[in-house]
This record gives sequence, structure tokens and C-alpha cells, in this order.
Amino acid sequence: MSRVPWIIKYRPKSLNEIENQDDVKEQVKQWMDSWLKGKPEAKAILLYGPPGSGKTTLALALARDYKMELLEMNASDSRNLTAIKNIAERAATSGSLFGTRGKIIFLDEVDGINTKEDTGAIPAILELIQKTKYPVIMAANDPWDPSLRELRNSAKMIEVKKLGKYALKRILTKICQNEKIECEDEALSSIIDLSDGDARYAINILQSVAEGYKKVTKKLVEEISRRKESELDPFETLRSVFWAKYAWQAKNAVTSSQVDYDLLIKWFSENIPLQYSNMEDVWRAYDALSRASIFLTRAKLSDWGLLSYVFDLMGPGVALAEKGKGKPGWKAKWVKYQFPQTIQLLSKTKETREMMNSILEKIGKKMHSSTQKVLNDVYPFFTQYYNEKMGEKLDFSPREREYVINLRGRREETGEQPEEKRTKRYYKRNTRRT
Amino acid sequence: MVEASEEVLWAEKYRPRTLDDIVNQTDIVNRLKKFVQEKNMPHLLFAGPPGTGKTTAALALVHDLYGENYEQFFLELNASDERGIDVIRNKVKEFARTMIPSNVPFKVILLDEADNMTADAQQALRRTMEMYTETTRFILACNYLSKIIDPIQSRTALFRFYPLKKEDVVGRLEYIAKNEKVSYDPKALETIYEVTMGDMRKSINILQAASSYGKVTVETVYKVLGFAQPKEVRDMLNLALKGKFLDAREKLRSLIVTYGLSGEDIVKQVHRELTSNEIQIPEELRVLLMDYVGEVEFRIIEGADDEIQLSSLLAKIAIYGNKYLGNSNE
Repeated sequence: MSRVPWIIKYRPKSLNEIENQDDVKEQVKQWMDSWLKGKPEAKAILLYGPPGSGKTTLALALARDYKMELLEMNASDSRNLTAIKNIAERAATSGSLFGTRGKIIFLDEVDGINTKEDTGAIPAILELIQKTKYPVIMAANDPWDPSLRELRNSAKMIEVKKLGKYALKRILTKICQNEKIECEDEALSSIIDLSDGDARYAINILQSVAEGYKKVTKKLVEEISRRKESELDPFETLRSVFWAKYAWQAKNAVTSSQVDYDLLIKWFSENIPLQYSNMEDVWRAYDALSRASIFLTRAKLSDWGLLSYVFDLMGPGVALAEKGKGKPGWKAKWVKYQFPQTIQLLSKTKETREMMNSILEKIGKKMHSSTQKVLNDVYPFFTQYYNEKMGEKLDFSPREREYVINLRGRREETGEQPEEKRTKRYYKRNTRRT
Repeated sequence: MVEASEEVLWAEKYRPRTLDDIVNQTDIVNRLKKFVQEKNMPHLLFAGPPGTGKTTAALALVHDLYGENYEQFFLELNASDERGIDVIRNKVKEFARTMIPSNVPFKVILLDEADNMTADAQQALRRTMEMYTETTRFILACNYLSKIIDPIQSRTALFRFYPLKKEDVVGRLEYIAKNEKVSYDPKALETIYEVTMGDMRKSINILQAASSYGKVTVETVYKVLGFAQPKEVRDMLNLALKGKFLDAREKLRSLIVTYGLSGEDIVKQVHRELTSNEIQIPEELRVLLMDYVGEVEFRIIEGADDEIQLSSLLAKIAIYGNKYLGNSNE
């Protein structure tokens, strides 16, 4: 099972939960209210500040407080250029802010845009800001690059300062209480000193100490942070592996990573298709990675000695999947790696999935069936004949009822109309086969 | 025939309540009735495809043994929902401990989807069954007899359930349609049978879904089936065939996260799509892909991470797509 990083688990859900930053919160709310009144003081804001100061968190919390949907996009990812254009188009034409659910457009890491490679990105964003009918939030660590001048001029600039010591202390203490971990006061102080106001870094250190040792002492913190220096963070691990020309280099990289093998496999899975552009290479890399994950299961079930093969396949197996590697003129592609999306997706959709499971359980109880059976054999039809009376009889909560009704609507919208003849032939074939 | 009229789900509303209500499966019913007369029975093993009446037979049996209030002497467990053998063991222990009146000979536990348990868990289950055998009888239900370990097979009386015959399914659907005052085209009911191949639960569910669109016709039946299959699987395959790997992967994620499908479910649906004419590819390519889909399913069963394994499938499809359909991979 993949664990949820604490930086996601403990991300404040509402502006009220955000420590300090009162000034920023006030400015953001004012701006948002001006949108709601129909007279935005600026179409976009640009939140800027050091890593881990809470820019993304602010955007997420704002959307939640105002019950809006956050269209989130990492602007520095060149693949997103078309996506930005698409969004710009939709944002310019779509309905009002006060519809059933308004939207906020969030462009993270705008300072990561490579202006040489993605010549179209900045103009696309400028056009988006000009035409949008939805509020736009941008975030950047360093907004003072000359190439961002036009973006600066088109947005209201709001500075997010790094977190103070007391604020950080409150955050860490709360997590310790919640996770029921013993934390020495001194240990927290040294984490806070090390992190220099970066909440993400501080929480990550806390998590790696706590998960490794179940308690947090000053000594352990210092040891971990020292080890961290020589260990590779996930980005460095990926870069070292993908750039490695020899098996030993790649193996070194995966064995000295600060990310454990479970999570590291997910990092590779996320980034293989970003690194390799030849499909054959992509396939070979995934094939090696899938063997790695099989060996991991075997290691867990029978013998931890097999773990070595996990590293062989995950490191060298993925690294040497690139055919052209090592040939004259070969140069590794520089890629901005991204965090495994499935983990974030799973934590974002947790509520929905729990609700769905509760629905399946309620039907299953009535029908004397397991949730899996209901999901496969009953649910696809149930959503089609569902009506309010059933919701009542099955004891669905109001939110569950709304969910199923919406699903029914969606199916009717997007479900295809199968051409009878073709489908018929298909089912006939099916009958014969079995 | 007794029907609980407050039921909103037809598959439940029209489930036979007593052994006498079960019109077909005469063989099985007769053997079960003997147990009721003798007020004694061994542990039972019900094996057969979905929707053939295993749960119905078990419920009717306990109904006839204990009467309307059978629930106090009956425990229903699902091997796939109870997490692990320990949970099952504890629930069995607790249930077996409760006192019963002297005129009740034993209590009954129905353990559904027993073939979803690992061999080790089945061994543990066997011991549990023996431990409480004085007061409790087990009915194990499974789809595949071959997945049940021999020691359990040899300690239980086997009942094989077969897919219902066409006249049984169509007859039942007719009865339900008349009772629910649904107008229908008789051909539509035959179509339902052809699609479900004797799975009664699925048949009734399709009928109920089709009736919600008005008159039940062959067209509405196909409409229901069309909506029931997430279009995402086909979209995902077509994107991969066109070499749009990253877009295909987005679809894959929405299947895993939004639809909650497991890797195995997705592979099975991919397999179904590839055998259908909905995906238009050279026949030769179908065979090549099928081979790899099989490999992928095997690896998932062996314990490979679902998403990684399916990503490798999508990459393979993209490679073949380029070779056979001449799309350029970016």
C-alpha cells in the first residue's frame, strides 16, 4: 500500500487552518471577493515566495473555502502548453462564476517555464489572463526573471513569506500529536532550524524520522539530516538512473536513494514516459519495472534477499532500456520529473471512493453479495435504473443519492449509443466462444 | 409465491424464498429438502457460475430449516470483503458461541466467494470448520471448484450449479415484467438471455435497467449494455494504438481511481474489447496483443503493481499500433 506523504495528509484544508500569513490571506480573500462582485481588481494574482511557504496550499484552501473547483496545472511542464491553450479557451467562453460550481485556474511554478524551449507558454498564459472569466492564480519561487516581466505586469503580486519558527512549531507539534509520536522539544527545534522556514522540508524530515524510529529525538534528527545530505532525493535518483551509462551507476543511485523502494517504483512509473520518447524504450523500461515489482512481492512473501533483484531491475533495468544510450552523440534528455500522480489522485479522491464503497456495501447487504460482485455485476445497471425511492430504501445518505443521480446523468451524456448490428455480432461471438 | 413487495431491487424482490419456490434445479432442491426433513446435514460446497442460484439455495434452505426468523441462526460472510482469515475466524467464533434453543439442531454459516481465499487461508478455514462442527454447519460457495483445496472438497457435500436454461430465464423475466407492468418485446427477453448466458441476477438487472427507459425492446437492452461498459477502456486502447501513450495513461488512471477497478478487472475488459469488433485492427495483431494481454494478467496475479503492468501493456500496444497501423510515435 502506498502511504500518503504527510505534506499532503496534513495540508490545511481551509484558509483558517493556515498558520500565520494573515496578511496574505486577507489580500487573497479581498481579491476573490472582488471577483464575486463581478469587478475583479485584477484578473490574476501571482503568489511568490520560497519553497514550502504555502503557495499551493493557499490556492487549494481558497478554492475549498469558496467551494470552487481548482483547475490545477504545472506550468513548467512543456507538455501542458496545449492544455493551457485548451483551458484558456474554456475559461473564456464558459458560464458564470456563480454557476453550480465555479472554477479557479491555478498555474503552479510559472518561473519554471523554459522560455527558450516553450516559446509559446508565456503568451498562452497572457492570453488566458486576458480572456478568462475565472480567477487565475499563479505561483512562483522567483518571479524576478526578466522573461516573466509581462506576467508580473498582468497580475497582482502577493508575497508569501517563509514560515516563522513558532508557526512551524505549532504545525509539527500538531502532527506529532495526531500520529501519536513521541517528540522531544529539542528535536523539533533542530528540525525547525534545519528547515529554515520551509514547511515541506520540515514535515518531510519529521516523517522520515518518525516512520523509521517511531520516536523523534534530537540525535535522530541530526543523523537523518546528515544522511540526507549524502542520500539522493527522488529527483536526483531519477536523474542519476536515467543518465547512467553503466549498470553499476544505476544500481548505486537506487540503493543510495532516500526514497524507499515502494515509493521509488512509483516515481519511475510516473517519469519513464517523460524521459524516454521512443516507445520501444518506454516499453523496455516498463517491462523491467514490472519485473522489479514482481520481485518485490516475492521478497515480501518469501525472502528479503530477493530485494537485490528489485534494485537490479529498477535501476539498471530501467537505465539501460534506452537503446541509443552510449552511442556517439547520445545525450540524456533533461526532464523536469514529477511526483507520482496516482498517490495524489488517490488522496484527492479518497472521499469519493469511500462514498462509492459505502454505496456498494449497502447494495451488497441487500443483495447478499460482496462489494466486488456488486461493482462488476450490479452497479453498472443499478446506476441506470436508480431512482429516489431506492435511495430511501437502501438508506443512502443525501450525498450518496446525489452522487448516483449525477452518475446516471453522466452515463447518459457520454455513454455511447452502440450500433445494434455490430454489438449483436459481438455478443453472438461471445456466446459461441464459451 | 411469496414476494417481499417493499424490495426495490428486482433481483432481490424476485428471489425465491423457499426451496419449493425454486422451480428448476430439481436435483439440488430434492437433496436439500432431505436435509430439512432429517434436520441434519453435512458441510456443503456450492460450486457454479455467478447468478445460478447458490446464494438463493442457501437462503431458501435456512428459511425452510428455521422459518421466517432464520436470521438469528444464520451468518453470512463474504471471503472477499472480510479482510483476511483472522476476521473470518473471529466472526465465526463469536457466532458459534451464541446459545441456541434445543429444538434448533445447528446454526448455518454461508461463506461466499470461498475461492477468493488463498490456499493457506483455506487450510485455516478447514480447521475452524472442524472446531465448531458440533454446533455449526458451513455452506461454502464458489465459482471455481478447482480453486478449493482438496481437504475441504473431501469434507463437504458437493452441489454443482449450472447456468439456467433459456426457457427458465425468459420465463422468469416474463413473469417479472408482467408483475411490474412493464411492456416488452418478447425478442428482447431472448436477447437478455443470449447476453447473460443463464446468469439470473444479471438478467434481472438488465431487465430493470431497460425498463427504466420505457418499453423493453432489443434496442433498449443494447442501450443498457452500452452504458454499462465504461467507454474509457475502449478509448484507452484506441489512444494507445494511435501512439498517444500519455493520454492513454490518463484514461488508465481514471479507471483505477474513479471507477475503482482493479488491475485484473481492467485486463479482462481489455481482453473483451480486443475480441470484439469495436476495436478495428488487423486480425494478426489481435493474436499478438492477446498473447501479451495474457502475460500481463499473469504478472498481475503474480503480484506486479497494477498500474506499472498496465502501463507496459499500453506501451506494447503503442509499438504494435505503429507497426501495423503506421501511426508515428512521438
